[in-house]
Amino acid sequence: MLKNMADPEAEVIALSPKTLMATNRFLCEICGKGFQRDQNLQLHRRGHNLPWKLRQRSSKEPKKRVYVCPEKSCVHNHPSRALGDLTGIKKHFCRKHGEKKWKCEKCSKRYAVQSDWKAHSKTCGTREYRCDCGTLFSRRDSFITHRAFCDALAEETARVNAASNISNTMTTGSLNYHLMGTSHGPSMVQHFSSIFKPISSNNETVDQTRSGLSLWRDIQESQGGNPPINNNIQEMHQIGSGGAVTLYSDPFSSCSNPQQSDQMSWVFGSNKLSSPSAGELTSSTSLPIGTTIKDVPSPHLVSAPSLFSTQHQQHQHLSSASMSATALLQKAAQMGATSTDPLFLGSGIGVKSNNNNYVQDGNKYNALFGSNPTSNIVRNNQENSVAADDLSSWNQMQMYHPAKRSRIQKDDRTEGEQTRDFLGVGVQTICPSSMNGWM
Amino acid sequence: MVNLLSMHNNINEPQTSHTSSSRSSESSNPLEAKKWASKILRDCAKAISGNDSSKINHLLWMLNELASPYGDCDQKLASHFLQALFCKAFESGNQCYKTLTSVVERSHSFESSRKVILKFQEVSPWTTFGHVASNGAILEALEGETKLHILDISNTFCTQWPTLLEALATKSDETPHLKLTVVVTLGMARSIMKEIGQRMEKFARLMGVPFEFHVVIGSLRLGELTREELGVQEDEAIAVNCVGALQRISVEERDEVVRMLHALKPKVVTVVEEEADFTSSRNDFVKCFEECLRFYTLYFEMLEECFVPTSNERLMLERECSRSIIRVLACEGGDGVGEESERRERGIQWCEKLKKSFTPVRYSDDVVDDVKALLKRYRAGWSLPPAQAEDTGLYLTWKEEPVVWASAWKP
Repeated sequence: MLKNMADPEAEVIALSPKTLMATNRFLCEICGKGFQRDQNLQLHRRGHNLPWKLRQRSSKEPKKRVYVCPEKSCVHNHPSRALGDLTGIKKHFCRKHGEKKWKCEKCSKRYAVQSDWKAHSKTCGTREYRCDCGTLFSRRDSFITHRAFCDALAEETARVNAASNISNTMTTGSLNYHLMGTSHGPSMVQHFSSIFKPISSNNETVDQTRSGLSLWRDIQESQGGNPPINNNIQEMHQIGSGGAVTLYSDPFSSCSNPQQSDQMSWVFGSNKLSSPSAGELTSSTSLPIGTTIKDVPSPHLVSAPSLFSTQHQQHQHLSSASMSATALLQKAAQMGATSTDPLFLGSGIGVKSNNNNYVQDGNKYNALFGSNPTSNIVRNNQENSVAADDLSSWNQMQMYHPAKRSRIQKDDRTEGEQTRDFLGVGVQTICPSSMNGWM
Repeated sequence: MVNLLSMHNNINEPQTSHTSSSRSSESSNPLEAKKWASKILRDCAKAISGNDSSKINHLLWMLNELASPYGDCDQKLASHFLQALFCKAFESGNQCYKTLTSVVERSHSFESSRKVILKFQEVSPWTTFGHVASNGAILEALEGETKLHILDISNTFCTQWPTLLEALATKSDETPHLKLTVVVTLGMARSIMKEIGQRMEKFARLMGVPFEFHVVIGSLRLGELTREELGVQEDEAIAVNCVGALQRISVEERDEVVRMLHALKPKVVTVVEEEADFTSSRNDFVKCFEECLRFYTLYFEMLEECFVPTSNERLMLERECSRSIIRVLACEGGDGVGEESERRERGIQWCEKLKKSFTPVRYSDDVVDDVKALLKRYRAGWSLPPAQAEDTGLYLTWKEEPVVWASAWKP
């Protein structure tokens, strides 16, 4: 379409709205039938044996006519934006400034021009939209939303990112989780530059192998060279769970990764202790409620809560590590697990083993974890001492050793009827049963 | 008791051999009673409220036996609420929530989030309802403007915007310039916003819409965000989009946030929230529990009907609920300024707050038609009741129950 700018010689015609909207300007003098175009009228006149004249496309340059839209607020009102086609300007005016009388039932789209509406209705709902990735959609809105986030669309971007990320593998994990738990304000926007990437398992593996190893070094360094084994194993435990969680993206699925569930199930107290040093909990009536924590190497207690505090260091390591369970165990073995505290070793290993030996030493247990009852329930129900003690130690475990939450297992057959409290009932194997949450 | 214990070895066994324990004062065969979960859960909540230790013990144990996140609706509700009840009983809610949050943040990736959200939008209008209503209101309010700036304070991960971009692209002759500033408060969202931003930019280019994308790592102190921090400029037409966002603001800060929004001088503010009240009863555990149970029962049932039984996406959505439920029921504090909240309020409650600074805008007939057409595209059960005269906003109902509320406001 020639704009007026291109052809300053063109004649600018401004028709009135009435004229534009008029559908049948060309009338047959014989029968009065109206036609939208002169050409059609002429052809009609043939039928009346009237002289007719079809206007040919003349070879000479016809005087170009351009039409402006009568609507003052419209961009096409200005001669520089006039349209060169009469039909075009008529449709434009009708569509843009006309009343949209025609509405599609299915999608509620509205049309001013009936032919537009008809054409739409024929295909509405029947059309299928195909994304570049191959997926078909029957609904336009879900197609559009999908497309915006589809990998096919972002292919280019991803390739660019991957290239820049190979050099950034070590920092990616740390930055990702550096943000976690803190508010940094708008300045964090800067950190977004090309460091983040979609987490894909390929990249993860590369990252984690490297950063997992560095974690070992870091921990040892930060602990002054000779960290208690327990600490490291605890870290390992967390790393394994952390990594696995990333891969499976599901904190509560345990079927595929016992350690993962182990980490999660600490909340509900279902970690198992397979340590032979732990005694029967049923001797809990003798649990010294007021014992303070004595013979526990302090790093344990310090490090446990810190796992869930805002220590960025922790988090960044956690995020980027994904040692497999096997690797963890191997590491544990390498570290020379001296069973000074088999509890911790056990909590990592015990997960995978079967669960038929859980008698714990109530006293030692309590001593390890401390036993200041904080639960209201405990205080108020002195008569149910078994339950109370269990609950208190339960609570302690939660507070001090989330990762070491032992799963207190009572053997019903030997216990008689001391099994009222729920602590004693979880005989479930980790894999399917940890789904039940805290047992 | 022995029977119950012997079943522990394999939870896959059907638990129909449950016999009544001599200690059970509840119905003798809980599983056969329809909707057993709500009864036991309620009783447990009451026991916790009344500090009845042995009853708490017993009920928690029973719930643990019967619950399963993979079972039917009752079993799922039992499972997810059990965690919260346990945390409440042992005052471990805050710790638990923190852990769950950090785990989720580690495990969520762009791919997994995208999968879940898009699938959810495909099978249920729970979220798209709000998107369509809000986009319609935004487009109408900003009609004729050339520089648009949308402040997106939401948890939609930008899934609301592709259709808006398309509408902008196809609507007028002059496609306006759109600047989108996303204010992110969810921890997990921060790590994937970069990816989302890139996708949005690329898509906007495809649509031919001049586009700018910004992310503000919102402190939870939304009330203190300034125009400068948000990048608001004088010549822009502002729209503020709050979808599922107001509930995340701590209860004490909500009025302040409304004032802050007003100070931005927006042309329109769109608010979408789920229809539940966890706020007015926040000091009454049992009452709050009842409301939680009511709402999540609806939600879980809805999920069950909309998704296929084996859907992983549904599982992930259900797990999200765990965290929310723990937050509402088992966490101490959290109502103070700057703390993350999940205390939902009903539409009329939000209206009270919003009316202090804004006037409601009725959705045009066109937008209402769009919403109706949207609902037609989903399975039966969803409807849009005609707005009553005194109503502000639209309610999405599922099986006659209002579940989501959408509204639009102007200064």
